[in-house]
Amino acid sequence: MTSTLSRRDFLKMGAAGAAAVAIGTMLPPKVAQAARQAGLINAEGDGTITSMCEMCVWRCGLIARIKDGRVVKLEGNPEHPHSKGKLCPRGQSGLMNTYDPDRVLTPLIRVGKRGEGLFRKASWDEALDLVASKMQAIKDQYGPEAMVFSSTHNLSQPLFENLLYAFGSPNYGTQRSLCFNAMITAFLLTYGIEEPSRNYDNVEYILMVGRNLMEAISTSETSELSHAIDRGAKLVYLDPRYTKTASKATEWIPIRPGTDSAFLLAMINVIVSNELADCDFVRKYMVGCDDIQEEMSRYSPAWAEQITGVPAATIERIAREYAAAQHNALAHPGWRTSNFINSFQTERAIATLNALSGNVLRPGGCLSAEIEAEGAGLGAPSQPPYPRLSALRLDGTPWKYPLVPLKLGVFQELRDAIVSGEPYQAHGWFISRQNPIQSLPDRTKTLEAFAKMDFIVTVDIIMNDTAWYSDVVLPEASYLERYDPLLPVGDKAYIRQPVIEPQGEAKSALWIYKQLGERLGLGDYFQYEDEEDYIRQQLVPLGVSLEDIKAKGYADMPEKDEEQEITFNTASGKIEVYSETLKNAGFSPWPTWEEPPMPASNEFYLLTGKVAQHTQFGTQNNQLLHKYSDEPKLWMNPKAAADLGLSSGNWVEISSPVGKAHIILLVTEAIRPDCVYMTPGYGHLSKGLKTAFGVGASDSALHVTYTDPISGGQALTQTFVTVKKA
Amino acid sequence: MSEIINHAFLFDATRCIDCRACMVACSVENNIPMNKTRIWVAGIGIKGEFPKLESASMVYHCMHCAEPDCLSACPVGAYTKRSDGPVLYDPDKCIGCRYCMNACPFGVPHFDYDKGLIEGAFIDKCTMCPQRIDVGLAPACVATCPTDALEFGERADLIAKAHARIQAHPERYIDHVYGEIENGGTSYLILSHVPFTELGLPEIGSIPVKEVSETVMGYTIPFALGWSAVLSAVAAGVHLYNQKNEKRSSAEEKLEDSK
Repeated sequence: MTSTLSRRDFLKMGAAGAAAVAIGTMLPPKVAQAARQAGLINAEGDGTITSMCEMCVWRCGLIARIKDGRVVKLEGNPEHPHSKGKLCPRGQSGLMNTYDPDRVLTPLIRVGKRGEGLFRKASWDEALDLVASKMQAIKDQYGPEAMVFSSTHNLSQPLFENLLYAFGSPNYGTQRSLCFNAMITAFLLTYGIEEPSRNYDNVEYILMVGRNLMEAISTSETSELSHAIDRGAKLVYLDPRYTKTASKATEWIPIRPGTDSAFLLAMINVIVSNELADCDFVRKYMVGCDDIQEEMSRYSPAWAEQITGVPAATIERIAREYAAAQHNALAHPGWRTSNFINSFQTERAIATLNALSGNVLRPGGCLSAEIEAEGAGLGAPSQPPYPRLSALRLDGTPWKYPLVPLKLGVFQELRDAIVSGEPYQAHGWFISRQNPIQSLPDRTKTLEAFAKMDFIVTVDIIMNDTAWYSDVVLPEASYLERYDPLLPVGDKAYIRQPVIEPQGEAKSALWIYKQLGERLGLGDYFQYEDEEDYIRQQLVPLGVSLEDIKAKGYADMPEKDEEQEITFNTASGKIEVYSETLKNAGFSPWPTWEEPPMPASNEFYLLTGKVAQHTQFGTQNNQLLHKYSDEPKLWMNPKAAADLGLSSGNWVEISSPVGKAHIILLVTEAIRPDCVYMTPGYGHLSKGLKTAFGVGASDSALHVTYTDPISGGQALTQTFVTVKKA
Repeated sequence: MSEIINHAFLFDATRCIDCRACMVACSVENNIPMNKTRIWVAGIGIKGEFPKLESASMVYHCMHCAEPDCLSACPVGAYTKRSDGPVLYDPDKCIGCRYCMNACPFGVPHFDYDKGLIEGAFIDKCTMCPQRIDVGLAPACVATCPTDALEFGERADLIAKAHARIQAHPERYIDHVYGEIENGGTSYLILSHVPFTELGLPEIGSIPVKEVSETVMGYTIPFALGWSAVLSAVAAGVHLYNQKNEKRSSAEEKLEDSK
């Protein structure tokens, strides 16, 4: 689909709207007033305003160029550590999310059947009154736990959590179990650190297990990796698919899916049996020193060759090269690690390799503690304690999944409990900035869960699939139109601020949650006048004014005391390669091999992944990204295609145990013969997405739900499919 | 104006990850319609047989030649070459003849067939973002490149930088900076790990095409005069021959009629 509507046309349309507002009020709009007072824009409304990107969770700093009260260009902020002056294609295209002609700009109330897409416009008062009364009715009739709340990682999440916990529901759905539960749980259990940060300054040898950093772009980290490769650092990259990262790697290993941990355990075997590790570091800081050699002895490279298909000599050589680089070696922790039930073990093996190289938490080492601690060091409005939660969490945390942190949860299990009604039936769902119909595996089942609900409300900026199936849609201001709570990074706190007025009736999440809170009698949890007042309260300990942080884009945080002694936040205070916690919960205390299931001879592994132009399920309707991304197709190796009599351009039908999808085939050497690959995020159901609707197919319609009992992570690559001509 | 005497780009194909941030940035900066682009990606795609694969991509836009063929071919002077680098195009002068498209050895100028002659905007191509470089900023594509595959600066400095990079990693690069001499030198310089022809670049000498064409065109008038004499003679001969044939056939017709 190519649109012939030019951006210039959108600008004209929007400018007409802005002019109408200006004449009506006579006063310059609020953003313009504030920016003018701060000297950021001139009398004509032209200038630059510093803020933060939200096209993914990396949150680059941006500088918005404003002309006549409209944002015309976004640049990376050189002073922000996540962007360093750059923006990726998604960041560059951000203004088209804001000026998307499909934006929802007034509250909507459903009038047709669910999924029919018939809504009527409503005032904020009517919509909020309706949402609050429905939520209250569910609470009164079934208890607060019958309301489910879900939202995907964002800066206003603390206030979302306020709404949820003040309301009294334990049922909190995040996207995390579909993404990084395996990585975070493994690193918490091994190091007591959620997500260690990576340092590429001195790195010489990098091992990446499916971390496609050249396409799943995190601007500063992608840049650092590229510069490291340029300097001559070696990159060994494991992936069944030849991604852009594979094309930049020194060595690409197209390993059999699900067997990464066998490869890594054999590396550990080579390192410990030949005593190649950083012995001083290991003895001092690691639990399991005495037994690791014995424990890993069964994982020889010859054993791993049988499982992974990678020659034993290659594994041995890579292990020796990795060990030789000592603390300038980095085994990357990865990010979306929801591949197989055994992905947790893969992550434990990665954590172990980093411990053996001694690169952890030392000056110049490649791995350190997390850089972001949300809200730490900042002020906050006062609020009463939350009411006591008396119901079990529907997602099984912790009563079924004892080691899954509460803030991660098990989203797919929550959906299943809604369908089964066990241990109790949920009746309402409050969704903010999240698209579970696209993100959860087994879309048919998710729609079943939706059908079980008495009431669904979604907060979003466009009519995504979840909004399309909701009863009320509340229009949020886009990230270029609103404030969010501050983001501390290192020794600074950064601001996201409106660079233009919200369009239509769109409002910030801070405003929406407060309005709902007050209508539900929970106003004490939202003690701020407005968004600016919230940020002023955050700034109190820093002694910085709102005007200063708006002009500068950040405020300095008080210096932290440099810790001299290395400490790990685990039970033993050391790196727990051997974990008593795991043992006590009935799991293997050592990183261990768990055989993953394999497809039958006529089946393929269904791989998922990323492209540089899109973020998950939320950007496919952005016209600029649509313009510059490839048409989504099913990748298949020529050998497999020849066996099936298929060729590039054929329409094919993919079938899994839970669904079917139709898509165009791309025959390519860039994938193993036993795998097929689909770019996620396509195949939208909502006809309210005029750019994205009808493009590609949804892998969520095919994914089978499998949950890792340790980390709660969904195993996305454990779905096997057959392919035939459509 | 910035202090740079001769602006140029340096593109390093070993660094490009084909993310297309440059394309989006250009589109927004220059307000390009949704169905048009000034930057495109060329390259080998993915080459080889699993698992021995190779890949390369190149960000393709106007080379901003020192001796631009588009300018030379344009009959109405719609093109100008600024002394500090950019080759610019004036839509108000353009008559839509498309000679520049044929003249450019890199296939850069694009004709807007949707608009054509009636709406008045015909040819589109990269401008080197004069609105940015005149205030000391890099062009939009360069400024946002996450891997610094695109760099911008003084042409002589970038040439030295490119050669230093080849020298530091001779195993990595083809020992040549494309654009240093090609077509008389371009303001878009390219480093690559695969042959330049595989990136979609023409094999082209150091003498600009326009120099050859202009030399040839210099002979046009004497050549044309000489030829016109020959052609006139031939035409006259042909005419006489035809007349003779016509006479003959009409004579034959008459003969037929009389039978």
